[in-house]
Amino acid sequence: MANVKLTNVVKRFGVFEVVHGANIDIKDGEFVVFVGPSGCGKSTLLRMIAGLEDISGGEIAIGGKVVNDVEPADRGIAMVFQSYALYPHMSVEQNLSFGLRMTGNPKADTERRVKRAAEILRISELMERRPKNLSGGQRQRVAIGRAIVREPQVFLFDEPLSNLDAELRVQMRVEISRLHKELGTTMVYVTHDQTEAMTLADRIVVLRAGHVEQIGRPLDLYDNPDNIFVAGFVGSPKMNFIKGHIVGRGAKEVVVELAGAEKTRITQPLTDAVPETGSKVIVGVRPEHFGIAGEGDADLAVAIDVVEHLGGTSFLYARTADGEDVVIQRDAAKVPDTSEVTVSIRKSYLFDEKGLRLR
Amino acid sequence: MRYRNATAYRFLTPYLLIFAIFWVWPIISSFMISFQATRTVPWRFAPGFNWGRLIGDPAFFNALKNTLLILVIQVPVMIALAMVMAVLLNSPLLKARGLYRFAFFAPVVVGEVAYSAVFRLMFSLDFGIVNKLLNTVGLPKIDWFSNVTPAMALIMIAVTWRWAGYNAIILLAGMQSIPEDVYEAATLDRVSKLKQFFFITLPLLKPVIVFCAVLSIIGTMQLFTEPFLITERGGPGGGTETLGLLLYRQGFRSLNFGYASAVAYTMAGLAIAITLVQLWLTREAK
Repeated sequence: MANVKLTNVVKRFGVFEVVHGANIDIKDGEFVVFVGPSGCGKSTLLRMIAGLEDISGGEIAIGGKVVNDVEPADRGIAMVFQSYALYPHMSVEQNLSFGLRMTGNPKADTERRVKRAAEILRISELMERRPKNLSGGQRQRVAIGRAIVREPQVFLFDEPLSNLDAELRVQMRVEISRLHKELGTTMVYVTHDQTEAMTLADRIVVLRAGHVEQIGRPLDLYDNPDNIFVAGFVGSPKMNFIKGHIVGRGAKEVVVELAGAEKTRITQPLTDAVPETGSKVIVGVRPEHFGIAGEGDADLAVAIDVVEHLGGTSFLYARTADGEDVVIQRDAAKVPDTSEVTVSIRKSYLFDEKGLRLR
Repeated sequence: MRYRNATAYRFLTPYLLIFAIFWVWPIISSFMISFQATRTVPWRFAPGFNWGRLIGDPAFFNALKNTLLILVIQVPVMIALAMVMAVLLNSPLLKARGLYRFAFFAPVVVGEVAYSAVFRLMFSLDFGIVNKLLNTVGLPKIDWFSNVTPAMALIMIAVTWRWAGYNAIILLAGMQSIPEDVYEAATLDRVSKLKQFFFITLPLLKPVIVFCAVLSIIGTMQLFTEPFLITERGGPGGGTETLGLLLYRQGFRSLNFGYASAVAYTMAGLAIAITLVQLWLTREAK
């Protein structure tokens, strides 16, 4: 086990800088998920930790040792690839033992490690099969098994579940979580799926366009996002954003009026600098923070377009008077039967025009 | 559905007619001719005449021996060389890759007569650059055209020069279809580049190598141009005569079409047999 420390890590492809000075400190035994949209640099960061991409600037240390110029095999890491990267001409057993056999590891030790990995992942009965004769989930287990036999200090996962169907993804997610508990090894996991990030991570690193936007525990990011990007990325369905402007201010609070809804005024306590009256702001409301009219800080009239019933919960797809789309979460039993309804805003977040959180 | 099929076949009819007349019929016709005595006019049906002669004909066995010798030596050497070329062409370190790919492929598009003339010149006893180079490094001149062993070597060198690049391009295409992350996984497994080649690239390329080998075997069984043009009709004294050349000599010089047809069918049969053996030896384990 080891910690991983990225200090001002920069990656350039030619003249294009794709990672702009990332600082991330991953503790020993921690499960950290890099999450962000396509092209945000999360896989590049992971490949730089693995040594599969050169580091253009900054420093990466694993277990306190700077590894910028250390060969991938000597970094004490093992990686699970998105496409599994299994050797198609070898059996499962050969896939697991290949690396150890090639490096002259003692046969008894190789057998012990392969047997242990197979038992952990429950693939002992598949050992003679070739990858083409395995299901997606089984292939993923073998790929993880190949990482386990290396007995690494750090596991790296590059979108390992993105090729699986929805049901299998949930199943494998639980398996990986169980594996982390069992092995206690440091794990770095890359995904674009915020649900995976929320369910697996001890801490999440949210990336956008090569910048680290925020690092924190899943619920901290959910409850206390630093900016509009993190607020929108974490949570499903995503947070609703409604334009507004400040109509009143006190020493430690502001009153916000929502666009197109003169009667909807929200009072927000602020501990930082209070913006000027008239400043444009964005109010963020999570779908579950809409309540029955009169229950919250302010009421908002909306027109419902579509209702999705998911059993216990329903999602109301609606528009404000100003034409902004909002998603409202409701208990199935409390879904209104009219298209024009008034909902309350029980909790909201305030962002300035640049998208930074006003606290 | 039946109507749609009929329409399709009506559109195909012109092609199928030409295919039947110029492809299917010659195959059937030559097979029938192989059972006829064609040295005298009129031809007469004599099943044992050509096939019987084949079994005891020293010229046939000489041509068969030469063809198989070229096959056994030249094909493996050429495929090994093509593999080395493909690995080099696949290297990310190589600059101007497109230029090299074209250069390696170019011999295939060069006219056979032109390249044969250049080879004759290059290997000429007194004026050839090859002998001059041999002299420069202190080796004696070789009379490539008057002795059997150098003449056979010359044929093999020429065929290898012409087709190695072609095979290299096919192997390169196969290599590029192997996903990069398999190699990355091996790199993380501390597997050296050399071991990656022998334990990952070669096994995964096996179907492509077999394809190249089958094409080369068929090509060598039909070998004609090089012994005809470079070593002047299989010279010296039939030392480089191949089955293809024997067929030509019998069919179009002696106008003995029956015997030429028997030789043609023997060539095709041998190519099929060797290919089947090879496919069987390299079959995928279940």
